[in-house]
Amino acid sequence: MAKDIFVFVELKEGAVRKVSLELLSKGKEIAGHFSSSLYAVLIGHNVKGIAATVQPYSDKVIVIDNEGLAEYRWDTYASVLEGILRKYNPYAVLGGSTVTGKDLFPRLAARFGSAIVSDAVGIDLHDSGIKIKKPLFGGKVISWITCSEDSAIFITFRPNSFGIEKGSLNGEVIEEQFEAAKDPKMNLAGTEKHVSEKVDLQEADFIICGGRGMKGPEHFQVLEEIAGIMGGRVGASRAVVDSKWREYEDQVGKSGKTVSPKLYIGCGISGALHHTMGMDTSKVIVAINKDPNAPIFHYADYGIVDDAFAVLPVLREALKKTREEI
Amino acid sequence: MNILIFIKQVADTEARIIIKGDHKSLEIENKYNMNFFDEFAVEEAMRIKEKNKDVQITVCTIGSQKAVEALRTAIAMGADRAFLLDGSKAATNDPLAISRILSAFAKKEGFDMILCGRQAIDDESANVGAMAAEFLGIPHVSAILKMEVVDGNAVKVENEIEGGRGIFEVKLPALFTTQKGLNEPRVPLITGVMKAMKASIPVVDPATLDIPQEAVAAEASKVTILSYESPQERPPVKIIEGETPEEKVKNLVKALKEDAKAL
Repeated sequence: MAKDIFVFVELKEGAVRKVSLELLSKGKEIAGHFSSSLYAVLIGHNVKGIAATVQPYSDKVIVIDNEGLAEYRWDTYASVLEGILRKYNPYAVLGGSTVTGKDLFPRLAARFGSAIVSDAVGIDLHDSGIKIKKPLFGGKVISWITCSEDSAIFITFRPNSFGIEKGSLNGEVIEEQFEAAKDPKMNLAGTEKHVSEKVDLQEADFIICGGRGMKGPEHFQVLEEIAGIMGGRVGASRAVVDSKWREYEDQVGKSGKTVSPKLYIGCGISGALHHTMGMDTSKVIVAINKDPNAPIFHYADYGIVDDAFAVLPVLREALKKTREEI
Repeated sequence: MNILIFIKQVADTEARIIIKGDHKSLEIENKYNMNFFDEFAVEEAMRIKEKNKDVQITVCTIGSQKAVEALRTAIAMGADRAFLLDGSKAATNDPLAISRILSAFAKKEGFDMILCGRQAIDDESANVGAMAAEFLGIPHVSAILKMEVVDGNAVKVENEIEGGRGIFEVKLPALFTTQKGLNEPRVPLITGVMKAMKASIPVVDPATLDIPQEAVAAEASKVTILSYESPQERPPVKIIEGETPEEKVKNLVKALKEDAKAL
C-alpha cells in the first residue's frame, strides 16, 4: 500500500500559515522517500482560491469548501477529516503543534485508535518507516519515537522545525464533499479576535524578548521598534507577564510558548530555566545583560555585557541599516 | 455536581535528568510536582464548589505509587477524594492507552464535568484531555480562560483560539482543559495539608475497568521510545568585545552577518 502523506493546511485570516508550508516541504521529502503522494488538505469556507498557494508544494490538493467550516471547531473539522482519512487511508497526517493542531489532532487520533506524537521537532526516514524526534522535559532530553503503523499516524510539529523549499509541483485539485457534523451540545456563541498585524510568535523568524531588566512596560517600545524592523515579534519572560507589563500571549517559556526562531535576542533576561526551556531550540541566540554571571549567557551564542538601555537604541539603528542594505 | 479532575505528576523543571548509558531510560532526580496547568483545574473546581451546593471534587492520576503526592496536593487544595490508577502494567508513554484508562475510570465513577490541564509540562503533548473526551463521546473545549456555570446542566466558557478568544456554551457532561489565566491557584492551608496527609487514597487496577485490556497493556503501545539523547550543546558563548555600546553593537552585527549568517 502506498504510504501517502497528508498535511492539514492551517489558515490564518484567509492565508496559508507558514507552518503548513514547512510541513508540506518536509512532507514532499517523506513522500519522495516512500515513492508515495503528498496531499494537502484544505478545509474551510471560500477556500478554493487558496488552493493555488499550496498547489506548488503538493502532489494533490483536497479541498472541502463548506459554509459550516467557516470558523474552526474540532467537531466539524474532525467530522470532515474523518471522512477524508477513511476514504484515502494515508500513512501519516501532519499538522502544526499550534492552538488548532493541539485541539484537533488528539480528537482524531482517538477516533481512529491511532498513534499520535505531538510537539515533534524532526523526523528521520529509514528503509521501511519513520522515526520522530521529540524533546522532553523542556528540551533537556531528546527522544526518538517510532509508531505502530496499523492505522494513520498523527504527528504535530512545532512551527519553525523545517525550512520551506520552494515548490515546483502543480498539485491536482480534488474537491470533496463530507458532512461537517456539529456536536449539538456545543454552541460557539462568538469569537473575539484581536486584529493584529504581528506575525505569530511561534512562527516568527526573529524574536526579541524582554525580561525584568527592562524595568517597566514603557521600555518595551524600543523592542517593538526592533521587532518591526526585523519583521519579527516581541516576547516576554514570565516575570514580565506576571507583572502585567505584557500580555500572556507574548510569554516565552515553560508556561508560555515554545519558540525556535532563526534569531532570538534576550534583553534584561536572567535566563531562568523556566524561560530557557521555551527558547533554547532557537537557531542563534543573543543575550544582552549587564550581569556577566546571568545564566542566560550559558544558552547564548553571542553575549553583550552591558546595560540594555544603552545598547538597544544603537542596535535598532544598526539593524535598520542592515535591512536597508537588502 | 460531580467534578472529576485528571492530574499528572511531573518532574520539577529544576530536576536533574540523566540519560542512562544504554540511552533507553532516564534517571530523574526526586523532585516532582503536580503539573503546572493542572493546578488551574483544581482551583477552578474549588471555585465552583464554593459557589454551588452539592459539588463533589474527585481527582485521579495514572502513575506509580509516587504519584500519590500529587493527589495529596490536590486534596490539600480542597479536593474531596482521590484515586491512583496503577500504571505499572500500562502503556504509560502512549496517550491512547492513558486516555482509554482515564475515560473508563470516569465512566465507572460518573461525572458531570471533567477538568485537566491543557498539557503536561514534561512532554508538552496536550493529548489526553481531547482523547478522553472522544472516548467518552462528550464535547471538550481546550485551554479555557474563563468559566461560568450557567445552571447545573450547562457552562459558558471562553478559551484560547488562534489569534483570540472563543466563547462556547456547552451542555454537560463535558471536558475542559485549563490554561494559565483562568484563575490564581491557591496555596493550600495547613489544615488542608493535614487533611491530605491523613486521606486514604485507593489504588485502582486498570484491569478492573471496563476496557479491552489488550488495548492498554504495555506491549500494545502505539508509540515506542527508541532512544533518548542529550540535546546538541551550544558552543560556549562568545562575549562581544568593545569599549562602548556602539562598538559592541557593530561587532555583534558583524558576527551575526558573517559568522552566524543570521542577518
